Amino acid sequence: MQDKIETKLEILADAAKYDASCASGSAGKRSAGKGEKGIGSLTGGSGICHSFTPDGRCVSLLKILMTNYCIYDCHYCINRISSNVRRARFTVQEVVDLTLSFYKRNYIEGLFLSSGIIKDPDYTMESMVKIAKSLRLDHHFKGYIHLKTIPNASPELQEEAGLYADRLSINIEMPTQKGLNTFAPEKNISDITGSMGRLKDKISEHKTSKTHTGKKLPRFAPGGQSTQMIVGADASDDKTILNSSVNLYQTHKLRRVYYSAFSPIPDASLILPLKPAPLIREHRLYQADWLLRFYDFSLDEILQGTTNNMLDMDHDPKLAWALRNRHLFPIDINKADKKLLLRVPGLGALTVQKIIKARKYCSLSWSDLTKMRVPLGKVKPFITASDYRPPAYLLDMETLSHQLKQTEQLDLFGRAV
Amino acid sequence: MKTIRINTLPGYEEWRDNAKSCLLNYIPPSSIIWKGAEQTQDELFKELPENSKSSARAKNEPILKVPKSFVELAQTACCHNTPERFALLYKIFWRINFENRKLLNQSLDDDLILLNKMVKEVRRDSYKITAFLRFRETVYDGREHYVAWYEPFHYTLERSLPFFTKRFRNMNWSILTPYRAAHWDGKSLFLQDNPDPSQLPEEDKIEKYWLTYYAGIFNPARVKKSAMLAQMPKKYWTNLPEAKLIPDLLQNSEAKAREMIDKIKN
Repeated sequence: MQDKIETKLEILADAAKYDASCASGSAGKRSAGKGEKGIGSLTGGSGICHSFTPDGRCVSLLKILMTNYCIYDCHYCINRISSNVRRARFTVQEVVDLTLSFYKRNYIEGLFLSSGIIKDPDYTMESMVKIAKSLRLDHHFKGYIHLKTIPNASPELQEEAGLYADRLSINIEMPTQKGLNTFAPEKNISDITGSMGRLKDKISEHKTSKTHTGKKLPRFAPGGQSTQMIVGADASDDKTILNSSVNLYQTHKLRRVYYSAFSPIPDASLILPLKPAPLIREHRLYQADWLLRFYDFSLDEILQGTTNNMLDMDHDPKLAWALRNRHLFPIDINKADKKLLLRVPGLGALTVQKIIKARKYCSLSWSDLTKMRVPLGKVKPFITASDYRPPAYLLDMETLSHQLKQTEQLDLFGRAV
Repeated sequence: MKTIRINTLPGYEEWRDNAKSCLLNYIPPSSIIWKGAEQTQDELFKELPENSKSSARAKNEPILKVPKSFVELAQTACCHNTPERFALLYKIFWRINFENRKLLNQSLDDDLILLNKMVKEVRRDSYKITAFLRFRETVYDGREHYVAWYEPFHYTLERSLPFFTKRFRNMNWSILTPYRAAHWDGKSLFLQDNPDPSQLPEEDKIEKYWLTYYAGIFNPARVKKSAMLAQMPKKYWTNLPEAKLIPDLLQNSEAKAREMIDKIKN
């Protein structure tokens, strides 16, 4: 027999699963000192994955909705007012107790709390802040807290949230106002980015400024802000989506933009597409996002030569770029600088680091690359080593793109044991 | 041929003291058989420890200095479950002293590839214990006490303890593994060899909520079994309460996803 909490948990965890972000973003290290009360720590980095569900996603946080009652009518959302999904609502105390009980059993790194909007945005936001405040002040909880702030809640409440949360986020949902107009008529892109802008200022103020007595200001969302975009519900192309991401990273200093392939939801609205967006599109967007942030690629380079401003679904964006720029290859693995090495399909940041370290001591040969576990099948048309040059026909071959397409697919599905 | 048996687990300090005295006596790696505490069947042939301060000390005494990073690597590799760990470490220790002071930079050297592989496996195992260990609540001496049974693949209990004492400082807990247990009372750690696994409470009042949560956040429209298995291989499933749900979740996923899509179409 299910008890009350089990029923609520079932409904409110189910409602939260469409949210893509799962990581507990880096908010530095922290733990209860000697003689201090409380429980919990942050280990730095992106937090521990305590479990994995059969969809391959990491379970790091207790990710729930405070309630799935909602006064809004966003079409892509299972909890919109016009949906007849089962509803439930946790009390402040219930969420606090569940978080602590899960944490003490080493199930989770902390809490990721989101909510439907009940009564009005301020009322909802206030209850969420109460939960975070009670965890921090009543229970001296030092674990991770991520609050999904409510668009249109008062700036004062958003600021208070920042005092207790490690990370704050507001979902931008759609890359354009046009998309929001169609699918989330109550939401407004300038309200959302306005909130992001205020939070950005607050975060940097608390990091750098001091009080008039010279004390450091209290922590304010040290893990920064993140957001999420739904991909494939509206007609936006990849260029529009990535442009919007670049803008969010640059203007509002976001830590992460999450992409969520539109997934069929029970009791869906009729204006939604009939088919789920392909997961591969979401995957390609993450890869492109990665190239923008860590591999020194510009958006133009990534999109150059693509059809209809959509990323190539057959090849990852780095490989696609290399195939369009074959004249730059092969490159010499023993001489090329870091920036160029990072452009070789199959060489990740970690492998590049290993290559740079190892080549200080000897000239790298083909068998050295084997020892370093470089994916040779993928890199072989693009590099030269001390005893290896790719046969000229490899790079010229018409079939190269087709061949690599197959390798790539095997990689995607065969990665795991 | 000299046989040295390391009786402690994981055995770094004991290995280090023996390795130093062997090196000072110029005993080459090929003349030593290193054994770990795992290899108990050889008990009868155990040699008495020799006095290392022998008169045979040569003039050009080895420096016995190793880079700091070697100490960290050796401490980590000693936690590996392969009995060959001590021999490999001595060989590298020898080579650093007599062959190449900068051996550790040669990441393509065969011995180092082996060492780095062992270190990587130990680090992964140490991470997994912080991730997959599950406490159950019980009452001991009138106080809340949390107990976990965990089976690491290497001797990684000790090196993981700082994580648990920091995170659960104000809790009383016991972590039981097949070779050793650690008990924490909020102030100090107490280690105990070969603990009794039946000390793990059979139930926990919160576990059912965890199972409900786990089943609830799984999205049946996005099954990626291989991605799950890469991170959480089956060998870890025995002590994970939620793992027993996986077969059913997978089996029902297709039907559930289809149900959702049908609803959209109608």
